[in-house]
Amino acid sequence: MKNKAIRFITKGSIYFLLICICYIYMLPLLRMISSIFMPEADIIDPAVDWIPRTFSIMNIRVAFSVLDIRETLVNSVWYSALLAGAQTFVSALAGYAFARFNFRFKKVLFVLLLATFIMPLPVLLIPRWIMFVSVQTAVPGLQLIGTPIPQTLMAILGQGVNSTILILIFYSFLRLIPYSLDEAAMIDGASAWQVFWHIIIKMSLTTILVVFLFSFVWNWNETTQTATFLRGGIRLLPMQLSMFEGLFYGAVLDTDAQGAMLNEAYRLTATFITIAPLLILYGFVQRFFIAGIENTGITGE
Amino acid sequence: MEESIKKPKRKKVSNNILSPKMQNRLGLLFLLPWLIGFIVFTGVPFFASIYLSFFRVEQTILGFETTYTGWGNYFTILFQHLEFNPAMIEYIVMIFTYTPTIIVMSFILAYFLNMKLRGRLFFRTIYFLPVIVLSGPVMFEVMDAGATGGEIELMNIFIFRMVYYYVPIAGEALLVLFSNFSIILWFTGIPIVLFITAIQKINPSLYEAARIDSASTWQILFKITLPLVKQTILISTIFTIAQLGIFATNPLSELIHESMHTSGGLGQASAMAWLYSIVTLLIIGLCALLLRQKKA
Repeated sequence: MKNKAIRFITKGSIYFLLICICYIYMLPLLRMISSIFMPEADIIDPAVDWIPRTFSIMNIRVAFSVLDIRETLVNSVWYSALLAGAQTFVSALAGYAFARFNFRFKKVLFVLLLATFIMPLPVLLIPRWIMFVSVQTAVPGLQLIGTPIPQTLMAILGQGVNSTILILIFYSFLRLIPYSLDEAAMIDGASAWQVFWHIIIKMSLTTILVVFLFSFVWNWNETTQTATFLRGGIRLLPMQLSMFEGLFYGAVLDTDAQGAMLNEAYRLTATFITIAPLLILYGFVQRFFIAGIENTGITGE
Repeated sequence: MEESIKKPKRKKVSNNILSPKMQNRLGLLFLLPWLIGFIVFTGVPFFASIYLSFFRVEQTILGFETTYTGWGNYFTILFQHLEFNPAMIEYIVMIFTYTPTIIVMSFILAYFLNMKLRGRLFFRTIYFLPVIVLSGPVMFEVMDAGATGGEIELMNIFIFRMVYYYVPIAGEALLVLFSNFSIILWFTGIPIVLFITAIQKINPSLYEAARIDSASTWQILFKITLPLVKQTILISTIFTIAQLGIFATNPLSELIHESMHTSGGLGQASAMAWLYSIVTLLIIGLCALLLRQKKA
């Protein structure tokens, strides 16, 4: 009887703790959601905390027009998808090479692959930038900075955002595919490329999806390199958000709606709109995301 | 991880029907895109930034002009720059406070999520959510909003006011921790998953044996679970430090990014980036040293 009571209390307190932490986790998101429909009067009113007295869609309209949603959303989607596609392809190739062949310096290269992950970005960013600018000035008529070329090039050559993790996901998945499949195909005269294309790719469709999703999300959220190389050449949603204040007052001056003030609700609404596509994506495919990290094999065995 | 390559279990691969020469060729061929990228975009820049940090680099219409300055850049940064040292200290403090909090929290959460609880999947979904939405601009907006609204909100909680009234210092510390707590917690997503996987891989017969020898839950936790996930603690720590470094809320990388385009020039920015990297790598090295697996 006593035992049962203790167990009940333990379980109860664990649930309590988990729910409390859940709340802290969600707090910023809940704040955003609550401020979406909040009119200006309710923001100043200290009596209104979470639920606004009257619902208004003013915030959404302001955020939509400041972010220029129609253009930036489309841009963000295709740009992230492009980089994600490139990253997925090259990660599959590299993962296949590491998982299947014994080549010279394999261990050294593997260590270098892991080292890439902890290499702080600023150290690489400056020379990369100088490199692209130099090429641009050396070849007349070639425009690199401000176009998608630098980032696409880095993605397709396996140096995009968190490429190491993506390669590791492929590496540890491909090691689980029995080698006898490759062998059988090769005895029947298939080349290594055919094995890769017809067997490996088809066996690892789920992994490809996982890698693509991660890469998509990470590229969507990446702003440091994007700010350096793309320079607003294509307007992307997270970039617009980072310039929200300036854009807001610019827009106000244009429409001579004088005296309009930027308030927190506008900014939080804009933030929510920026992450909303990712939340929707997560809602549909969340099990892939978690499974993806579980299967990276970076848990150290 | 490197050890896994050596595992005899994978010997099968080396009994490949392809000759070693063929394997060598094919392996490098499939790796070629990554290898080129690594050399061009990681290897060369790595050494180039060491080189650049000793120069004064100016951008002209014709390209870049460099003049040798020796240790000049480093001297300027460390002794004359007004913002670098405070930013560096802020960065180090951030790493040393955030990382342990993140690791401890994610271990605790992973431990609970491994128990047979109802709604486990729901909790996991929530805890993993930040991995998806975490980005520089979003963090800025959230922290901005949190700094203005969070503290007042916290003061409304009765227990908190009580603590604040009796022990002001503890209240102050809690205030700092809690006003950034959401953000700190947002970094736990991936470490939680890593810990869950690691805990699940522990052989259940170990627990059984311990229980037969009448070990308490606490003893099992400290004597079995924790030692066995040590490797994961190390990996999560390295991962967390790398993640904290990438994000734009990091005071130093912001400063480096700014000075790329302002007065100091690219040489100075490279020197800053180098100092920053050395500190980061030293911290990672320190963690690796502290958490390394002792060979029995």
